[in-house]
Amino acid sequence: MKNYKMAWRNLWRNKRRTIITASSVFFAVFFALVMRSLQLGTYDSMYKNVIESYSGYIQVQDEEFWENKIVDNVFKNTEELQEKIKEVRNVEDVIPRFESFALASSGSRSKGVLVMGIDPQKEKLLSDVEDKLVEYRLTDDAINAIKSEDIPDYLAKNMDLFAGNSYSSDGRLQIDLGIKESDAESLMPIIEKYASIDNGYFNMGDNAALVGDRLSRYLGLERGDTIILIGQAYHGYTAAGKYVVEGIVTIPNPDIDNKIVYLPVDVCQNLYYANGMLTSMVVHLRDNDDDAIDNTMERLDSKLESPYRVLGWKEMNKTLVQQLEADDKSGIIMIGILYLVIAFGVFGTVLMMTAERRREFGVLIAIGMQKTKMAGVMVYEMLYIGLLGILAGVAVALPSIIYGYHHPIHFPSKFAKIWEEYGFEPVMAFQWIDKYFLSQSLVVAIIVLVAVIYPVVKIRKLKEVNALKA
Amino acid sequence: MKKKLLTIVLFSFYCLFLTAQDATEIIKKANDKINGEESSFSIMKMTIIRPEWERTLEFKNWTKGTDYALTLITSPARDKGQSFLKRSTEMWSWNPTISRLIKLPPSMMSQGWMGSDYTNDDILKESSVVEDYIHEITGEDEIEGRLCYRIKMTAKEEAAVIWGHQVRWIDKDDYLFLKAELYDEDGYLVRTELGKNIETMDGRLIPTIMEIIPEDEEGYKTIVEIEEIEFNIPVEDGFFSQQNLKRVR
Amino acid sequence: MITKTAWKNVWRNKIRSFVVVASVTVGIFAGVFAVGVMNGAVDQRVDEVLDNEVSHIQITHPDFRTNNDLKFRIDNVDELEKQISGIEGVDAVCDRLFVVGMANTARKSVGVNIIGVDPEKEKEIFGLYKELEPGTGEYFSDPEREELAYIGFDLAKNLNIIRYQINDEIIEELRSAELPEDILSGISEFDGERFDNEMSFKKAMRTVMTAKQESEYGRLILEKAQTFRERAKFTLTFVNSSNHQTGGVFRVGGIYNIPNSMFESSQVFVRDNILRRLIEFPQNTAHQIVIRLNDVDDTRAMTKKLREDFPELEVLNWKQIQPDMAMMSDFAGVMYGFFMVIILAALAFGIVNTMLMVVLERTKELGMLTAIGMNKKKVFRMIMTESVFLSLTGGVAGMVVSWIIIRITSTQGINFGSMEEGFEAMGFSAHIYPDIGVDFFLIVTLLIIITGVLSSVYPALKALKLDPAEALRTE
Repeated sequence: MKNYKMAWRNLWRNKRRTIITASSVFFAVFFALVMRSLQLGTYDSMYKNVIESYSGYIQVQDEEFWENKIVDNVFKNTEELQEKIKEVRNVEDVIPRFESFALASSGSRSKGVLVMGIDPQKEKLLSDVEDKLVEYRLTDDAINAIKSEDIPDYLAKNMDLFAGNSYSSDGRLQIDLGIKESDAESLMPIIEKYASIDNGYFNMGDNAALVGDRLSRYLGLERGDTIILIGQAYHGYTAAGKYVVEGIVTIPNPDIDNKIVYLPVDVCQNLYYANGMLTSMVVHLRDNDDDAIDNTMERLDSKLESPYRVLGWKEMNKTLVQQLEADDKSGIIMIGILYLVIAFGVFGTVLMMTAERRREFGVLIAIGMQKTKMAGVMVYEMLYIGLLGILAGVAVALPSIIYGYHHPIHFPSKFAKIWEEYGFEPVMAFQWIDKYFLSQSLVVAIIVLVAVIYPVVKIRKLKEVNALKA
Repeated sequence: MKKKLLTIVLFSFYCLFLTAQDATEIIKKANDKINGEESSFSIMKMTIIRPEWERTLEFKNWTKGTDYALTLITSPARDKGQSFLKRSTEMWSWNPTISRLIKLPPSMMSQGWMGSDYTNDDILKESSVVEDYIHEITGEDEIEGRLCYRIKMTAKEEAAVIWGHQVRWIDKDDYLFLKAELYDEDGYLVRTELGKNIETMDGRLIPTIMEIIPEDEEGYKTIVEIEEIEFNIPVEDGFFSQQNLKRVR
Repeated sequence: MITKTAWKNVWRNKIRSFVVVASVTVGIFAGVFAVGVMNGAVDQRVDEVLDNEVSHIQITHPDFRTNNDLKFRIDNVDELEKQISGIEGVDAVCDRLFVVGMANTARKSVGVNIIGVDPEKEKEIFGLYKELEPGTGEYFSDPEREELAYIGFDLAKNLNIIRYQINDEIIEELRSAELPEDILSGISEFDGERFDNEMSFKKAMRTVMTAKQESEYGRLILEKAQTFRERAKFTLTFVNSSNHQTGGVFRVGGIYNIPNSMFESSQVFVRDNILRRLIEFPQNTAHQIVIRLNDVDDTRAMTKKLREDFPELEVLNWKQIQPDMAMMSDFAGVMYGFFMVIILAALAFGIVNTMLMVVLERTKELGMLTAIGMNKKKVFRMIMTESVFLSLTGGVAGMVVSWIIIRITSTQGINFGSMEEGFEAMGFSAHIYPDIGVDFFLIVTLLIIITGVLSSVYPALKALKLDPAEALRTE
């Protein structure tokens, strides 16, 4: 009888044994796939969040701007340029930015600030400034007023701890003040009554500014007040302008929060005597996985020449890249540990299986079967088992991952409060079916093949007499 | 024999000493010429030249001693009406567009005043060409048709100056600063300053055109021309005030 | 009796025993190592920021953060520090002066934060002195030379203190780094020429090579061409306590290099006594009091305590000063937790499977035992006892092995240096230093041992259900 037929029959002769051995492979594949998917998906979403909130994946700038961020290094934002960029495959839109420095003054005080000219609508795709408008401010007056109402003790205590803080959403406020789900309905209206502040956004062309929360407090500015910006404009002219504070935003990073002023980009260009020019243009992509980004960059690079320059997110976020690398490496170690565990699972099972069948082998050899044939049959058996296990593993992993992809694991808010502040969703995401499916399965297949070596070797060394005695 | 040797050595030291003294004296005289005036009023024109553009400003300038200065920009239209006040090391500015008075921190001028090659250092003039350097006459050259002392000024170790050393040419007859070369610590030339068009104004002989040429950038230059100048005008300390910034015409 | 039999059984079938012991050992190693790596990875990114930039807790005048005005200072610093260092859990305390000003060289002026420190005390809290770029000097080694400052690499570049030059020596070095000859002859055109900044050097490079070549070799050439003058001169200008512009001449004593570019390009460190003199501040005053704790996990509790002790001052911990860091570390903690769960699950299944197989292998033997009349309960106990023996042995072995490996890797680190690709590496060799506390170590070990024992319950029960007659007939 052919080896492969014999192997197949052997498999089903002892179902229990087969199932146990196959399940070790099954578990190996299943866990490897799930873990890898979770790893890749989570890293991805974590970093994509950070990149998408500021620099974006690709930017177009004047070739001298990155190394020397002065206002003279702006580029002309022509129709032609925009079309050229939008023509490139995978480009969804272009988002203009004008960033520079100025001295901000409110009359009594002045401070050096970062001025960021944005497209009020398009910027929502990036740093979403509108989302960061302050909704509640726990001023001393507000706190006292709230305390005068009938509120639970814990709320009073917590408000004192967070006195002075500003919040851009209900969620974050509730987390900080520890407001229980059950109390939310009754407490929120009270808080809204005393602590909510009037806020607004702006449109292109408005002579309005949005000011960072800490900055607004330092300069003593409230909505409706005037803020003065003075600085150096294009070609050395003096940039000077007066703007109405239309809204106050709270930026999670305090270093930025205490020196940021947003203007509509056209108004900002005016201020710096740089009409029609920009410091950077963020290229918004349709597909943002690594390969797509690289390809788009290459295409843009070949289309645009001096004085334009195309920059990728890696270059603009060097620290982030290092963090990514570090994460990737620890991720590889984690997967390595998993492999170790599952490899042992497989080896252990195969070892025991071999030991269990010693008598069987001994008998077969005694009645004349060739050792090589037996080894051959063994190999086929392992191959079938391996295949069975892998197929089963993939079959179960697939739906699990697909489900996970659509239902990422949400963090309990307590752990990820700061994540929320940035406007990111604290989730552990699964990566869609990709190359890793193949590579993980391959690794398990290799483990199985290595595992075969043991029984094969054992068979060769077998002394029938001893085996029969088993 | 020994006595002779000693005499020669002593004599040479004496001469060296004399020359050194002379060098410092010369610098001092030239410096006094510029800064020694009690007060002044001038009308000036500044042209900023860059490889890709050029810009010209016109302004009126009042000074008193070395501590007080007030500048009013009269042209072009975009900048007209801006005024600047310097009181020792503080700078203030009035801007008519926004009708505000602002105190300017030094960081505002890290790119040069009004985009020119005049740095914060130049305007505040904190370091002293006399006090902070060791002077030595290294020769003579003709600049603008005039014979000048060439003096090498090496920055003193503790002096808060950014230059390594300077070479200045001072007119022998009238002690005018006609040329300066400013070097960094490694001996590379960073900036050249030239005084040209020597004319008599209000009874004094002065270079009426000053050029600042940064060496590192191709095609960069700032030219200041004195169109009119009056020395020792009667002006009160009170003239150099924040209120006056708004009023001055 | 059972114990004796169990013991004998264990030795009788060496292979079987080995398999079980090995599974448990590997399990423990895997679990411990995974936790260690997790801690190491999370700690590492946070450590860099804590060690070099922020430390654990900072105390300032309440108005100091919004506006770094000189006048918002803390008085009676010595007393405060004494009080703080007496608190349990505090490792070290130091104070600093903080002045916003300008750094000026012959070519450039840049806004900086000037930090006046006591170098000896600083070393107890910050590891920034270790980040010295080799060959650029030292960290405040000579107390006599007050004018020496410690500045960041990026700042040195921005001030044009770092210059670029090509000479024969550098060309040779590049040649041995296997740069193609045509590039070498191209750049040798610039032999002797000095470039004051990165931009002008890069521009020149671009005239002699293609964009592709530049992206491949550009970084290396740039690195090699970097030169600077030791003890280069620069001035620091700022406003003093009488509101007058003042300043002084300083020299670059050493240059530090850390991944955080923003920090590097703005923080200048000088000796506190010279800064104090220049701003005309009395002794015993400071702008920041920095506290390093023995255990970073105490941060929250300690912040609270300090706030209660010093209500008139602002007490902030690193999570509040650098929320980005906090965000990353919080998230990473949970993320790795999940991975741990998966690894442990895989482990559990693996052990169970192995046990199943083990018992299966003994079907005949067990059948025999029941056939000759051994009480089923006793058989069960025998199997469990064996399991316990083996798991414990595996446990001990696992503890020993993982202890050794963790010891080694936590000091040496797992170095991926050789795996770093191309010249994108910013001199950041991603060392992972696994770290695990004794408590975690014991918990993981115990968990795995218990898993080993428990996972033999099911198979043991199954074995008992076997019909002795059937079992005897098994091959």
